[in-house]
Amino acid sequence: MLAMFQKELRSYFTSAIGYIFIGTFLLITGIFFTMYNLLSASPSYNYTLQSLITIFLFIIPVLTMKIISEETKTKTDQLLFTSPLKITDIIVGKYLAALAIFTISLLITVIYPIILSTFGTIYASEILSGYIGIYLLGATLIAIGLFVSSLTESQVASAVICFGVLLFIFLIDNIEQALPSTRNASIVFVLIMVAIFSLFVYFSTKNIYAATVSTLVGLSVTITSYLVKKEAFDGLLQKVFGWFSLIKRYTLFSQGVLSLNSVVYYLSFIAAFIFLTIRVVDKRRWS
Amino acid sequence: MIEIENITKRYGDQVALDNINFTVEKGEVLGFLGPNGAGKSTAMNIITGYISATDGNVRIDGIDILENPEAAKKKIGYLPEMPPLYLDMTVEEYIKFVHRIKKVKSNAIEPSMTRIMSLVKILDVRKRLIKNLSKGYKQRVGLAQALVGDPEVLILDEPTVGLDPKQIIEIRNLIQEVGKTHTIILSSHILSEVSAICHRVIIINKGQIVASGTPEELSKKVHNRNIVLLRVKGSKQEIYKTIREMEDVELVEEHGINEPGTVDIVVEAKKDIDIRETLFLSLSRAGFIILMMKGNDVDLEEIFLEVTKNDRGVQ
Repeated sequence: MLAMFQKELRSYFTSAIGYIFIGTFLLITGIFFTMYNLLSASPSYNYTLQSLITIFLFIIPVLTMKIISEETKTKTDQLLFTSPLKITDIIVGKYLAALAIFTISLLITVIYPIILSTFGTIYASEILSGYIGIYLLGATLIAIGLFVSSLTESQVASAVICFGVLLFIFLIDNIEQALPSTRNASIVFVLIMVAIFSLFVYFSTKNIYAATVSTLVGLSVTITSYLVKKEAFDGLLQKVFGWFSLIKRYTLFSQGVLSLNSVVYYLSFIAAFIFLTIRVVDKRRWS
Repeated sequence: MIEIENITKRYGDQVALDNINFTVEKGEVLGFLGPNGAGKSTAMNIITGYISATDGNVRIDGIDILENPEAAKKKIGYLPEMPPLYLDMTVEEYIKFVHRIKKVKSNAIEPSMTRIMSLVKILDVRKRLIKNLSKGYKQRVGLAQALVGDPEVLILDEPTVGLDPKQIIEIRNLIQEVGKTHTIILSSHILSEVSAICHRVIIINKGQIVASGTPEELSKKVHNRNIVLLRVKGSKQEIYKTIREMEDVELVEEHGINEPGTVDIVVEAKKDIDIRETLFLSLSRAGFIILMMKGNDVDLEEIFLEVTKNDRGVQ
């Protein structure tokens, strides 16, 4: 894993991507910091941190676009997957290298609150919690980018899809409010989910019985839970979408609330996407 | 050393490999021949564990590639069709990286790097970026990569493709050199190469093994003709007459005229009889000068065309 990590980290700096990422990140954080804190003489640094989220939308796809797709395209994955390395080591090594670039960029911005502290009082604990939040959020988005990169051979496609997915995540709170919250809408939603799941089962196993069984199980679970507890279906759409709202969780951190719950939430997101990436890469070799 | 059992690979409805079986003994150099799209690369990708087979087993030195991939892959060096090179690394960095992912002990890396780089003659380009190297050098770096970690088995997918004739000879010699201590599977569509390097040849077409054996065995399988090619100075009719009078001659055929005043003749003798000596004696007694005589060549090209032409092939 260490060999993979070092190779990836070096490749970020031999290609321009590492510099582009760090440069853009620092330039825009610098602008925000100057505008929000220096020019308006405000000590609330978390406001600056929070606006970094918008930068993520543009630079995380750049960071992760080639992470796996390039190996697939240039066939260097043949070297990796025929070496005694485990796939997990390869993927995690690559993820950690991307994370390291992000970590470096974020660590440099620690200068800003230090500058602020020379002019007045800052709320160190609040800023720390804001940093932890933004770090976890960034790490999660990088894991999503990693996953997207494993889906395609083309770096451009990878970047565009990643951008689209991140944009969706950013807009999820707005989308959530526009969705109907009635009981019927929720039931329709659940049924669509059951249908999608059954189709997925069918296409991945090509087994009509497995698909039928999963449909029946899905339907019976829906009906039983509806009969047992009708209220559970009120606003279900909002609950489900809200669960995917990575940004909403972040706002707690920026208010200085460090909740273990949210930390676990982000970490499980990261683990899930790394796991999915490993599955996708592994699956491609099996099909 | 390498056991391939009932390997089948399907992509949807398309069958890329159909029930392939063969074994390679320790120290053997096996040639893998086949037209484009026959399934050579697919077979090699399965043997190295890059992709999995739909059905069947691959064992390297008794270790199953799916059950214990790490241990099995340690024993394999693989040069794919397209050398897996990181173009923005220098040769040295790349070879070092390969050493590390192949889990060579860190104190053994330096001597091993020098040894391998001098073996494939890339020491002089060690500081250069791989993307700036010529195709021949890239191929050598690819070969160097396969040799890292001193694997017992080498799988080489078209190792001489894209090289100039001098480099081809160099790489070929290198493979022969390495073949003394390693078990090698080598794919190629250059027939002379396979007959020059390999102890045994497997011809594969449309995902099936259509012929296998030593180059000599194969040539016997395909045409049982006992042929001698001659170039004789003198008039055609008289030469023909002299040869026809000989015993054991089945057929005399013209083979064109390549030098003025001479004639090229194909003489087919009865089975299992070497007529070269008597041919020489009777022609010289009659006063004809033999300028060239060639025995029954191992002509893989012919075998190849023959077995890949009809789908049944020769078993």
